[in-house]
Amino acid sequence: MIRHACSCTSAVLWLFLFLDRAEAHPHVWVTFHSEVLYTADGSMTGVRHAWTFDDMFSAYALQGIPHAKKGQYTREELASLAQVNMDSLKEYGYFTFARADGKKLKFSDPGDYWLEYKNATLTLHFSLPLKAAATAKAIQIEVYDPTIFVDFEFAKDKPVSVSGAPQCLLTYDLPHQPTPAEQLRLSQLDSDPLDASSSYGETFANKILVKCP
Amino acid sequence: MTRSRGVILTVLVAVILARAIDIVSAQAAPFGAPHPAGALSASGLTGWIFAQQAAFYRSLSGFIQASKEDGAAMWSLFGISFLYGVFHAVGPGHGKAVISSYLVANEETWRRGIVMSFASAGIQSVVAIVVVAIAAVLLGATATAIGLTVHIVEIVSYGLVILIGLRLLYVKGRGFLFACRELTWTQAPVLTLASGHSGNTFSLHPPRLGAMTMRGGQCMVEGCADHEHGFHCHDDHHASAWGHAHGPEPAELAGAGGWRRGLSAVVAVGLRPCSGAIIVLIFALAQDLFWTGVGATLLMGLGTAVTVAAIATLAMSARQIASRLSKARAGFGVLTMRAIEVGAAALIVAFGTLLLAGYMASEQLWMFTG
Repeated sequence: MIRHACSCTSAVLWLFLFLDRAEAHPHVWVTFHSEVLYTADGSMTGVRHAWTFDDMFSAYALQGIPHAKKGQYTREELASLAQVNMDSLKEYGYFTFARADGKKLKFSDPGDYWLEYKNATLTLHFSLPLKAAATAKAIQIEVYDPTIFVDFEFAKDKPVSVSGAPQCLLTYDLPHQPTPAEQLRLSQLDSDPLDASSSYGETFANKILVKCP
Repeated sequence: MTRSRGVILTVLVAVILARAIDIVSAQAAPFGAPHPAGALSASGLTGWIFAQQAAFYRSLSGFIQASKEDGAAMWSLFGISFLYGVFHAVGPGHGKAVISSYLVANEETWRRGIVMSFASAGIQSVVAIVVVAIAAVLLGATATAIGLTVHIVEIVSYGLVILIGLRLLYVKGRGFLFACRELTWTQAPVLTLASGHSGNTFSLHPPRLGAMTMRGGQCMVEGCADHEHGFHCHDDHHASAWGHAHGPEPAELAGAGGWRRGLSAVVAVGLRPCSGAIIVLIFALAQDLFWTGVGATLLMGLGTAVTVAAIATLAMSARQIASRLSKARAGFGVLTMRAIEVGAAALIVAFGTLLLAGYMASEQLWMFTG
């Protein structure tokens, strides 16, 4: 009886826990362009991103960065911030997840990165080379933050492109309305939360698909 | 058995109801259509709230810029900031759970629950303003330095939450053990009495007898002069007789010491500034509108306070229902209430630990800025 009361009480209190969990909310919005890089022989070598941050986060990131002219930042003045961005993003796998015919691909350290300040927003340019070039019929690249702290959104104009492989077909998928099965899983999040390693956030990822003959 | 199950069931229902009312009341709020970008995690009402607060947040930058030229836009900004606070506080952080658990564990007064909610949200706003004023305005620090400062303040805050939880767990755990011991003391005579009767009587009467002997047990304990709390034999008409068997009396709780205790929880929770407020303040600063940003931050805090107070009030009413029901069943009722208090205290420790471990509330400002 006592045990029963205690276990029920703990169940109640776990409910309280969920008052404070489950809904993370973004504080950073990124609209992005991505270019999938191919060599002439049809193997993928990496991805080139251009991520534009929202105006509020841009102002936050620029805080304290010395610059010669008010309201203007040169690429050189932003070099140290770009370095910080790339170093910090490493922990999150650059929010870029790729698969070749279903097999996970690994990226090596990014190169050729810089920040651009335009229209009161920052754009981070960087390329993410694959550890080993991949040849596959279908390559899928997803860009998302599993913790939903950063909201990624395809840019409105020509969000994705392929370079070097004219024979490949490129499509992309916007985060979709949840299907009934996903809706069910969402409704169970409170009683059966995601564990840290869960990749459920990827359901709502921005998907890029490249199909090569 | 069924009675105690009823108590627990009621608490469960109350909590679920609390959550539902919380969401529904937000739903009924009179503003615009859902944000289409909410498809990201649009799962019914939660998704809707998520989308609303995102939409409010994103509109803040436009209102801040507009208020540069247009004084009226400032009032819109303040209105939006308030609403953003209300919606935003439904998400993680902001100490709803810690404050609610604290109130449940301590059986605090309604008034104090509301005051604590507002005070913690107020401190949260002020900390954000102070951090930005010192770091950004005075020192010209970078986002990296500000992020680090926030991170350190956060760790201190979570550490304090754990300490407060541990202290409560110790105090409430002892109360629970006392209640357990009393129950076992009183069980023996009940059984002896009951075994003298037929089996039928055994199953029907023990609760009542248990209740009576339970009181006897308490009065005997009162005889122990050196017991630190001092027990009282209450009459039936005293509403809080059983609820306070091992806790301080209401008068004691409402005294100066009680407020000081509450203050420690308020400070621990309020220390951690909201990332959104920091970003808004720095954005306003970049537009040379720091004071507008301060106003917006304070109103965000007010909105947050409303949500936290609402949830805390619901948590407390759930406890009150449980305590009213448990009063009808003296021995196990007291035990159940003590168990709820211990659970709430344990939960505060759990919150602190999870927050410290970075499992909950992933508001990492340092994702891009180190």
